[in-house]
Amino acid sequence: MADETAVPADPPQDSRRETMAFITGVAGWLVPGLGHALLKMWGRAVMCFLTVGVLVILGAGMRGNVFSSSGNDAFDTLGYLADLGTGTFYLAARSLENNGADVSHAGGDYGTRFLATAGVLNLLAALHSYEAARGRKA
Amino acid sequence: MNAGMAFKLSHLQSMLLFALLISIAFGFLSRRRPMDRVKYIVWSLFLFLLIGVGIGWAMYPFSH
Repeated sequence: MADETAVPADPPQDSRRETMAFITGVAGWLVPGLGHALLKMWGRAVMCFLTVGVLVILGAGMRGNVFSSSGNDAFDTLGYLADLGTGTFYLAARSLENNGADVSHAGGDYGTRFLATAGVLNLLAALHSYEAARGRKA
Repeated sequence: MNAGMAFKLSHLQSMLLFALLISIAFGFLSRRRPMDRVKYIVWSLFLFLLIGVGIGWAMYPFSH
């Protein structure tokens, strides 16, 4: 009699699809919109790239805080994780902000939020492309 | 950063830009058809502004 408790092995197609979905998600994180571009969702790809890009440029231009890994407390660490969500745009934000952050005025504070939002939004978009690549959502 | 790249935006301009950009991103991510996207963006933008201004007024008594 066959063992009914045995878990059937994943078909090779599922495993390959899972790998491609993971690659799509990582690509979407590294370059905003690339995950959707790989899935030929051009409208979403362009919009993710532009939205995250504009938020990063505005955030850095308003002298928001681009957090680094050497944070002093949990909020700095959370900010760093959020900023890292922008992928390669994190490096662009750091290079744009030569004079450092200035959160002594409202503009700088808004800039910090813009940068963190760009990161979280990009993570959401990357997760969306990952799910779409798995065939669960579009 | 050079001085030409510095942005000086007021509270209202910053809030408007933020609300607009996030509404567009949410609309494109969560809806597929163009008309649904437009409706979602307009509705989301309206709620962002309504809640933002509402919270601003709710905090007003504490500033005095």
